[in-house]
Amino acid sequence: MKLRKNFLIILILTLCLLLSVGTALAKPVTITFWHAMSGSRLGVLESIIESFNAAHPDLEVKPLFTGSYAETLTKYVTAYPTGTAPNIVQVYEVGTQTMIDSDAIIPVYKIPEMLGETWDWAQYVIPITHYYSVDGNLWSMPFNSSTAMLYYNKDIFKAAGLDPNKPPTTWKEMEEYGEKILASGVVDHVYSGGWPDWIFEQTLAYNDHLYADNDNGRTGLAKKVVFNDDFGYMVFDTWVRLHKKGIYIYGGVEYEANSAFNAGQIAMLIQSTSSLAGIIKASKFKVGTSFLPRFEGYPVGNSVIGGGSLWITKGQSDEELRGVWEFLKYLSREDIAIKWHKGTGYFPASSGALKTLLDEGWFSADQTYLTAFLQILAGRRDTAASTGVRLGPFVAMRDLFRAALEKAIAGELSPKDALDKAAEKMNALLKDYAELYGK
Amino acid sequence: MSKMTRKTRHDIFIHAILILLVMVLAFPVYFALITSTLSFQESYQYPPKLIPGKQFMSNFQEVWDRINMGRLFFNSTFISIIVAIVKTILALLAAFAYTHFKFRGQGLLFSMCMITQMLPLPVRIVPTYQLMASFNWINSYYALTVPFFASTTGLLLFRQFYLTIPKDLPDAARVDGASPMRYFLQILVPISKTNIAALFVIEFIFMWSQYLWPLIVTTTAEMRVVQIGIKMLLASEQIAPEWNVVMAATVIVMLPPLVVLMLLRKSFVQGIAMQTSK
Amino acid sequence: MQEDRFPGHKFLPYLLIAPSIAVIIVFLIGPFVQSIRESLFVSTPFGTKTIYVGLRNYVRLFSSPDYRSSVIATFKFSAFVIIGGLSISLAIAQLLNQKIKGVGFYQVALIWTYAISPTVAGVIWASMFAPATGLIPYIVSKLSGGYTLNWMTNGNIALFVVATAATWKMLGYNIIFFLAGLQNVPDEFLEAAQMDGAGSWKAFWRITFPMLSPTTSFLLFVNMLYAFFQVFGLIDIMTRGGPGNATELLVYKLYRDGFIHLNTGFASAQSLVIFLVISVVAIIQLRIVTQKAIYSR
Repeated sequence: MKLRKNFLIILILTLCLLLSVGTALAKPVTITFWHAMSGSRLGVLESIIESFNAAHPDLEVKPLFTGSYAETLTKYVTAYPTGTAPNIVQVYEVGTQTMIDSDAIIPVYKIPEMLGETWDWAQYVIPITHYYSVDGNLWSMPFNSSTAMLYYNKDIFKAAGLDPNKPPTTWKEMEEYGEKILASGVVDHVYSGGWPDWIFEQTLAYNDHLYADNDNGRTGLAKKVVFNDDFGYMVFDTWVRLHKKGIYIYGGVEYEANSAFNAGQIAMLIQSTSSLAGIIKASKFKVGTSFLPRFEGYPVGNSVIGGGSLWITKGQSDEELRGVWEFLKYLSREDIAIKWHKGTGYFPASSGALKTLLDEGWFSADQTYLTAFLQILAGRRDTAASTGVRLGPFVAMRDLFRAALEKAIAGELSPKDALDKAAEKMNALLKDYAELYGK
Repeated sequence: MSKMTRKTRHDIFIHAILILLVMVLAFPVYFALITSTLSFQESYQYPPKLIPGKQFMSNFQEVWDRINMGRLFFNSTFISIIVAIVKTILALLAAFAYTHFKFRGQGLLFSMCMITQMLPLPVRIVPTYQLMASFNWINSYYALTVPFFASTTGLLLFRQFYLTIPKDLPDAARVDGASPMRYFLQILVPISKTNIAALFVIEFIFMWSQYLWPLIVTTTAEMRVVQIGIKMLLASEQIAPEWNVVMAATVIVMLPPLVVLMLLRKSFVQGIAMQTSK
Repeated sequence: MQEDRFPGHKFLPYLLIAPSIAVIIVFLIGPFVQSIRESLFVSTPFGTKTIYVGLRNYVRLFSSPDYRSSVIATFKFSAFVIIGGLSISLAIAQLLNQKIKGVGFYQVALIWTYAISPTVAGVIWASMFAPATGLIPYIVSKLSGGYTLNWMTNGNIALFVVATAATWKMLGYNIIFFLAGLQNVPDEFLEAAQMDGAGSWKAFWRITFPMLSPTTSFLLFVNMLYAFFQVFGLIDIMTRGGPGNATELLVYKLYRDGFIHLNTGFASAQSLVIFLVISVVAIIQLRIVTQKAIYSR
């Protein structure tokens, strides 16, 4: 009898434990915010949110790190139909088309109207707003915009007998410099990079070359990719050749290569501008930054915007929406945008913040921060190719691209074959997407 | 005499191999331990350091602060214990039914239990997620535990054991007028102690290792488990991975299953011996 | 089937299995049926539109070179983990089974890897092999005079490192089971064999190995499940399927297609295929286990 009693007690206890799971208690107005910021960026973001919450006692923004960009998007997509989506979600540029087609969000340009306010959308930096606009209207709030640039180790340049103030500007120079640095024996490999898929997109845009048809998917859903032509082959060939020579060493998917650069094991790094603050903090040598290398003799385009923007879930209560809008306005504030920029390296999205930074001499004190701006502001912004790519199944397409590059580098496929095969698979994905969205 | 020395030589040889094996197997963990005591700079020294530094406490503190390790630790422990207990109870009951009774549909129902093995969570992950959503269980302990409650391992383990019990035992109990449940609770469960311990070890370690499901089914920091904590420290770090901090986390995460395994080692090994014996 | 030990309790057995069966129906069979249904559709990520496509997802799956390479990678990986892991642990167990001092110590010192989670194993091995800064590339480069070991650009090395880490983690478990199995082999059998003049090697293959077959078949199955499913965290932490799909095992591909690329139908089709493969192996294994059970009565 006793045993049975014990047994029952265990069962009941187990059930009680399960039932006693606390669900979050509601506060006045809670704004949930899913993001993919981690590491040193997370600290900056959290301190901004803390100051917002302190200044708005009636509101509480609750940030949650939901993993990488891809995982964050996935979680949002799965959460939305179940009603557990956050008020605000940060989505990387790759997910832009998915979000536009989602029917799950309110385009940000409509929010002030809905709340009976007006807002000056012209205050944001144009290349950024271009990327996230449909028919001239902004669909998501610019937040963490970056582009890619070249980082180099001035000490290694010096040790190899190169002018530390003359970084390579073309891919031809990359190769020449690379050979010299290798010959000097200072390092075993010369350069590496992150986000190889994105860097490829950058390279096309920077030389004013389209990635996909229908103006990079901006005038209508893209039907096929167009990068597997002579220009694309040349880019791919160059990378694979440099890898064979030992100048380039493949650096993984995201930021894995930064450690080798910080440790002084490679001389150059092609990486997102958002790594700048982190790299300066972690490296002991003099860091130089410069524009992405170009291919000589091809038209000039622009480097494109990467990073993420904030999307607002539809179906929120007016109270929540008002809170969300307060938060978005807060993020646009000059001082906040400046804090964000200085802490991370992301662009301040508004022209006002940019001007203040100039006035206070931020860029002359540290010119490494200037490169990114000069690069996107010096380039053209009137062509589709230089505005950036927008594709439905972009996440999967990037994976295909990366696999192709990895196979070409490993010598499993010739550069041309690898690129053609990837293009073929991507076209199939684009076709499926067009079929689903029936246009 | 010469036989003795040959035996001794043979033994020394075996000891040497075994000690070498122990060291090889332990090396990765030794490496993790060392790294967890280094500073960030030291962890990137070239050649890599193999002697301990002095930073363990501060790395440990970092882990605690940065990913809220205390909470994650609680969550992992909680769900592992709950799942291990409930799985054991369900398996005991089912094994009792399948070995001591004859009922219609027995074969079919038994096969149904066996199917659990062939449908691990990754195979049905999308619809299971949708199911959680329809129950409103996303981001709750229910979602982290209930879908794991069925256990083939446990059922087989107990069934195997119960089949070897001489039938005089239940018969005697029945003649004495004991009800089936009384026989189950007072005789069967107590003699299954070793197997229960073995199953507890297996299921605790299994649950502690869960990664994909908690990653998908939780949406707030409070509901995360330790495995995700490691990923948060690692995969997403902007500058290079901070191996020293990451390793401090792995050292913490390694401990509970190790403790469970070591505490219950004797019963665990015995339970498994019973399982494999003829 | 055994006899009824408690005749007259008609409903009790159903009551006893009810909780298990309920969990299985609601959380296993239900979702599985649902995923078979979904494999016949394609839908937008947010589920705003769904189109019936019949068997198209399956046709695509079987004609996809990426899927084929994933099957091959899974096969190689599993073969390494199963064959390599089982033979090493059998050898270790055999050593442990010698009558020497300190067996208890060695047992503890050799089985603990079982308690390591795949994720943790992945992190540790990834850091030891970190291309530019890790310990192993350093040693390799010193020993070989400058060879750069970079598993991020070499699919074979990547698969090897991932498989080694996975095998390492599973050794403890396999050793425990083999040791238990070995201890059940009666000494008299071996002694008798040795009397007949068989060397210990021969005795092992003639006596020990056949007597271990239930243990071996059980471990084969458990290790296969492990290699198929439980290594997800290890792959995600170490390689994310790269470089160039080299370590994209079936379970990882399923996750990426279904959850990252948001192609539920395609992923569901993969679920069914994996299920069928596992079922075939499971049925074979169950045969052996149940036969053994009958034999033991």
